[in-house]
Amino acid sequence: MKEDSFKKPSILEVENLNLAYGEYQVLEKVSFSAKRGKCTVLMGGSGCGKSTLLKSMVGLLAPKDGRILVDTIDLWAVDQEEKTSILKKYGVLFQGGALWGSMNLVENVSLPLETYTELNEAEINDLARYKLNLVGLSGYGDFYPAQLSGGMKKRAGLARAMALDPDILFLDEPSAGLDPINSHRLDNLINELKVSLGITFIVVTHELPSIFDIADDSIFLDGQTKTLLAQGLPSDLRENSEHERVRSFLRRGTPISKN
Amino acid sequence: MQGESKSSYIQFRREQDFVDCILMGNWSIENNSGFQVRNEWESFFKSNPTVEVFKFQLDSNIDWDSTLVSFLHKCRNDLAEVNKSIDFQALPSGLIQLLELSKPTLLEKKQNEFSLSLELIDDTINYFRDATLSIFSFFGEWISSVVLLITGRSQSRFQDFAVSCRACGASALPIVTLISFLTGLTMAFVGSVQLEKFNAKIYVADLVCLAMVREMGALMVAIIMAGRTGASFAAEIGSMKLNEEIDSLRTFGISPMEFLIIPRTLALLLMIPLLTIYADVVGILGGLVVGTVVMDFSVIHYFEQTQVALQSMWEVYSGLLKSVVFGLIIGLVGCYKGMHSGNDSSSLGRAVTASVVVAVTIIVVVDALFEVTFSYLDLR
Repeated sequence: MKEDSFKKPSILEVENLNLAYGEYQVLEKVSFSAKRGKCTVLMGGSGCGKSTLLKSMVGLLAPKDGRILVDTIDLWAVDQEEKTSILKKYGVLFQGGALWGSMNLVENVSLPLETYTELNEAEINDLARYKLNLVGLSGYGDFYPAQLSGGMKKRAGLARAMALDPDILFLDEPSAGLDPINSHRLDNLINELKVSLGITFIVVTHELPSIFDIADDSIFLDGQTKTLLAQGLPSDLRENSEHERVRSFLRRGTPISKN
Repeated sequence: MQGESKSSYIQFRREQDFVDCILMGNWSIENNSGFQVRNEWESFFKSNPTVEVFKFQLDSNIDWDSTLVSFLHKCRNDLAEVNKSIDFQALPSGLIQLLELSKPTLLEKKQNEFSLSLELIDDTINYFRDATLSIFSFFGEWISSVVLLITGRSQSRFQDFAVSCRACGASALPIVTLISFLTGLTMAFVGSVQLEKFNAKIYVADLVCLAMVREMGALMVAIIMAGRTGASFAAEIGSMKLNEEIDSLRTFGISPMEFLIIPRTLALLLMIPLLTIYADVVGILGGLVVGTVVMDFSVIHYFEQTQVALQSMWEVYSGLLKSVVFGLIIGLVGCYKGMHSGNDSSSLGRAVTASVVVAVTIIVVVDALFEVTFSYLDLR
């Protein structure tokens, strides 16, 4: 895994992606690449297809057209076995956490480890509790998802997403529904994990403070044209983007005084 | 003035190529005069096709709420359709702002488009084609997962199987006991009245025992399990889908078929024949109670007669064979409905209902087919 990191600067490449639900076109000709060990934010207004794009990248929604390359392997062109081996490099945090309700937190984090590693029960248990501590949930291992608050579920979902030490972590609106303090904490956690573990982050969000805090790179999806409108550092886009919509999005719609 | 203040009015003042529309009176959600104004507007609008500009203004004594805004919204849409201009300049700024906010989006316009009935037929055909395809691919995936399990390459976990076995086996004992006991008891009562006429009361034992092992044991257990376990499979898996738990399994490369469906369906497949044997016995005991308490046979006499009736064990095996097929139907229908429920809570409810209705219907049909086949093959 580590020697791979010098291979190519981009770990994930999306080429000419076309996404649709049946007849309903969501996104057209989306191309971008995510740099290894950096945080790429997917942003855009509600309903612009951010979550749909994420679904396609994590192997849940087959694209109509185009390719998604993970370390140069096309996720949607390989057989199930190879796809599973790509998915093992992934961690995904869903909007509501999506913890398995019939299992407690330790079991939730343990399941991927039980499925893919040869570790014994005690080792898995220790590892699961360590991951929970990492997201600030020490002592909650025996709790069931239904007993937790929204923010805790999200953090537990993050712990589970990190269970297999993924190369890429996909987060779907990690700070939506969290209070400002918890949201800020989560952003800090993302930054720390990025630096200390070298994980590549792909984050879907439209929370402006988060975007400026965590993004090394960002892409802006536009619901009207159904395309990728801009790519770059968010603070850069806010000042210099050629697209009015991108600038106004990053300023919460306030009029722009450009001088 | 009294009457005027109770309802809404519109007045048109025509000037060459434009018209002043003056709105007055009381525009309120509580009075029902709005339709008259609408009619007036429509007849004026249709009978004056030469007017190019419609200028709207309010009377000074007007009282209004959302009904006025929605009326103006309708006027704007009507005029937009025939490319005529509308002039709101004379309206108060608050009203203009409300109208601005409610401007139709592209989506609203699309919905107004007329959809052909041919499209409906096409959609229906597509729906059935997709449904058939998805049912067969579900069943195919189930079979290939069972093969994976047999060859030892499955992600299914024994503990899930064990938990499901308890949920659909041991926990179902009380209800199965009650229903099958009462079934045996009722059959004995009904039978005894008829058989008494021929002075053949002891054949009640034959009747109860054969009916239970051949038919009622398997059928009653299947119906109970469809309502109990099939519905719970659909609800459980459907709500996991709702919470994106199924998606999160997939992103870990864990197949929901192997992880969720195989343990559940196999547990049901194993437990249903066991419950059926149990139901057979309890049903016969129900008959025994009537035979001994009401009809005054001795327990030994009743059992001996039962033994005579059950000379071939095929009677029992045929019931068990049926119950295994019923178990498969219940498990697969429940899981399929759960996996294919929509992403909202009402469709989850529909999925649960459908899982029970579909399973019970298929069970009854398959049961009839079994009996017809058995009698053709001289197995009865």
